[in-house]
Amino acid sequence: MTDAAEAEQPEKPAASKPAPRTRAASTSTAATSGKPMVAEPSPAAPKTPRKSAVRKKSTTSAGIAKPPAPREVVLVLRDLSKRFGETVAVDHMSLSVPVGSIFGIVGPNGAGKTTTLSMATGLLRPDGGSIVVHGADVWKDPVVAKRNMGVLPDRLRLFDRLTGGQLLYYAGTLRGLDAATVRRRSADLASAFGLEDALNRLVADYSAGMTKKVALACAMIHSPRVLILDEPFESVDPVSAANIIEILQNYAGAGGTVVLSSHSMDLIQRICDFVAIVVSGSILASGTMDEVRGVGSLEEKFVELAGGRRTAEGMEWLHSFSD
Amino acid sequence: MVAQFLRLKLRLLANTFRRSPIQIVGIAIGLFYGLGAAIVAVAGLIALRFVDTALAGSITVTLGALIVLGFLLVPLAFGVDDTLDPRAFSLFGISTTRLATALAVTALIGVPALVVAIIAVAQVVTWSRDPLAVVLAVIGAVVIVATCVLSARVTTSIAAFLLATRRAREITGLVALLIIVSLSPFAAILATVNWGRDGLRLLSSVAGVAGWTPLGAAWSAPAEAAAGAPGLAILKALIGIAFVLLLWVAWRGLVGWMLVTPQREARRRSYEGLGWFRLMPDTPAGAVAARSITYWLRDARYHTSLVAVPVAPLIFVVALAVAGVPWNILALIPVPAMCLFLSWSAHNDVAYDNSAVWLHIASNTDGRADRFGRLVPALIIGVPLVIVGAPICAGLFGDWAVLPSLIGVSFCLLFAGLGLSSVISARFPYPAVRPGDSPFAQPQASGTASGLIQSLSFFAAIVIALPPFGLAALGLAFGGGWNFGALLLGLVLGGAGLYFGVLWGGAIFTRRAPELLAFTLRN
Repeated sequence: MTDAAEAEQPEKPAASKPAPRTRAASTSTAATSGKPMVAEPSPAAPKTPRKSAVRKKSTTSAGIAKPPAPREVVLVLRDLSKRFGETVAVDHMSLSVPVGSIFGIVGPNGAGKTTTLSMATGLLRPDGGSIVVHGADVWKDPVVAKRNMGVLPDRLRLFDRLTGGQLLYYAGTLRGLDAATVRRRSADLASAFGLEDALNRLVADYSAGMTKKVALACAMIHSPRVLILDEPFESVDPVSAANIIEILQNYAGAGGTVVLSSHSMDLIQRICDFVAIVVSGSILASGTMDEVRGVGSLEEKFVELAGGRRTAEGMEWLHSFSD
Repeated sequence: MVAQFLRLKLRLLANTFRRSPIQIVGIAIGLFYGLGAAIVAVAGLIALRFVDTALAGSITVTLGALIVLGFLLVPLAFGVDDTLDPRAFSLFGISTTRLATALAVTALIGVPALVVAIIAVAQVVTWSRDPLAVVLAVIGAVVIVATCVLSARVTTSIAAFLLATRRAREITGLVALLIIVSLSPFAAILATVNWGRDGLRLLSSVAGVAGWTPLGAAWSAPAEAAAGAPGLAILKALIGIAFVLLLWVAWRGLVGWMLVTPQREARRRSYEGLGWFRLMPDTPAGAVAARSITYWLRDARYHTSLVAVPVAPLIFVVALAVAGVPWNILALIPVPAMCLFLSWSAHNDVAYDNSAVWLHIASNTDGRADRFGRLVPALIIGVPLVIVGAPICAGLFGDWAVLPSLIGVSFCLLFAGLGLSSVISARFPYPAVRPGDSPFAQPQASGTASGLIQSLSFFAAIVIALPPFGLAALGLAFGGGWNFGALLLGLVLGGAGLYFGVLWGGAIFTRRAPELLAFTLRN
């Protein structure tokens, strides 16, 4: 862990605002961003046997893989927590996302992926912890932080009485772009996502996949540094998904950063440089794709960490078909 | 099977009482009116027992046919919210005939069916004159109830099924309103008929035709029997029964069809270009304004408030006219009242967005831009309304001296009310009809708060406008400078209300943005 020093340096933004001194300084204890992409078990997190196993795993695999070059960190979640009544949705989660990467978050249903991403994008107020995007704290300096983020939330409505073209224009002007820029970018996005024919139709009349695509286009229109996409490939057809992946990979290649969640392990394994496996609000494993998945596939690792499969017993009646 | 469906229907009915007090009051009023109408009808039908056969027949047949017509048309026009839609049961594997039977029987539970059943039983009393008439009246009672219930079922399903597309759903309510408005000339014609002289002739000729239609046949059969025409009586009874059978076949066919047919696809309409977004400045406030205007024009939920703005003051005026207020005083009411309703209609705007408001939050839209943009449509309607409407109304009043105070009070209500709405919609949103639902549907989860917030935002605007209103009253009494005082005070108070309302509302919106989103997600 010699690169602990370099890991601190990336916090400094290229843009105006100074890094929020508060947490960046105070929490840099032992494990903090030793390697940018490794989960940081916070002091408050319960020490479960699972967790230690994970760490052992990631250190060993790190030993095999060649040590990653230190990269600038663009998104940092520190000690993030959220509870709904008695349920702990996100349990002191810490995460660092390096610049130019595609970072996948996977987890079973109800693991807290959407909650985490909602807090990171300023849509849900966290109970504790901080989120820093390109040096600006999302909840203390939202003006700068939100400017640098493009957001695709899951299961939220769009202003669907607008046509696709109007929605793109709306998203662009709300972000402070001028009319000419928005029109130019709308045209580009529409052709990139194959939405040209749909721009004059109401979003309410779109199919689920098309709605996803126009929402994704809205997330990109202000050319943010970080794209935070919750389930971007859900109900998108394979051809469009391939297009979107290409767009995202080019974006990451040009220095953009993508954080996305998905249920499709194959897809995550194929396109992501880094991955975090989230179960019950905690990160069980995170790191480069090769570190996390080890020798098997990501899916195998995921099933192993997420508590394994349970064999269905007592369901024999299901096999005696009723007529 | 039938018993289970009946229990389900009773449970659904009981649950309607767990809504907000305003809705319970609404239901209670409905029940009160329904039962009141039934009692009046029962008394009338009993009284008709002692009237000569021809007249009694004309009255029962005409009214009866109207009742059946109502059961046929009301669901079509207003797209009644069908809690027991056959499609809801499509996955349970119930045979079509059994499902159709169960649903038809279940439809007997409800205020309209109850009222019609009471009336149908009462008309037996009217015809307790000779044995055949009684028998036909009893058969007729069953036929009438079955006809009404099945008619409503068939047309409700047609409304839910064929008119199910978003656009159709939004439009039918408005079309119905237009039909009612366009029918009013007929009402006027009917009102001018000299009932004392021509009434009976008109009634009997209407009844003569209606008695041969399926709508009135069952009502007419006992009348014919009592008039001593058993052949005609039985023929009409058969027409009534045949119509019930026809409705049953239609209902069963419809259920069978609905169970296997997917939702009808909406015809997609194309809109050219950016519309209002091109006309508004390319700033966040301009974009929000363009979006709001587009929604006011495209979204049926806003249409209902647009319709209410001119209609509600009319009700005021009529009520006061009945109370004997002179007409020229009434001329002063519409413009301020429309301003009040217009500004009030914006008081729950955030809830109308539902969770789509995330876009404003993720873009970190300035709260003031959000607040002001949402008020623009009301301003675009309201300002010309006052400028054009106030002189007309002052003219109708007959004294131009009131013009300044009319303008002052109206602008105060409009501007201060909008400022108030912008604070309230950010601070106290309450559940609203979701986007795409029928504007007449009510959100299930509206709590007690919504009624309170509605009345608070309504009366607070009036309270703010009280000072200029007082000056206007002084102007009305003493004339002269008081009127200009009302104008000045109204503009100052209104302007300040709008300005500080937008500032305060914007600050609340910025501060509470995540909580607002959480609210819309619960809704």
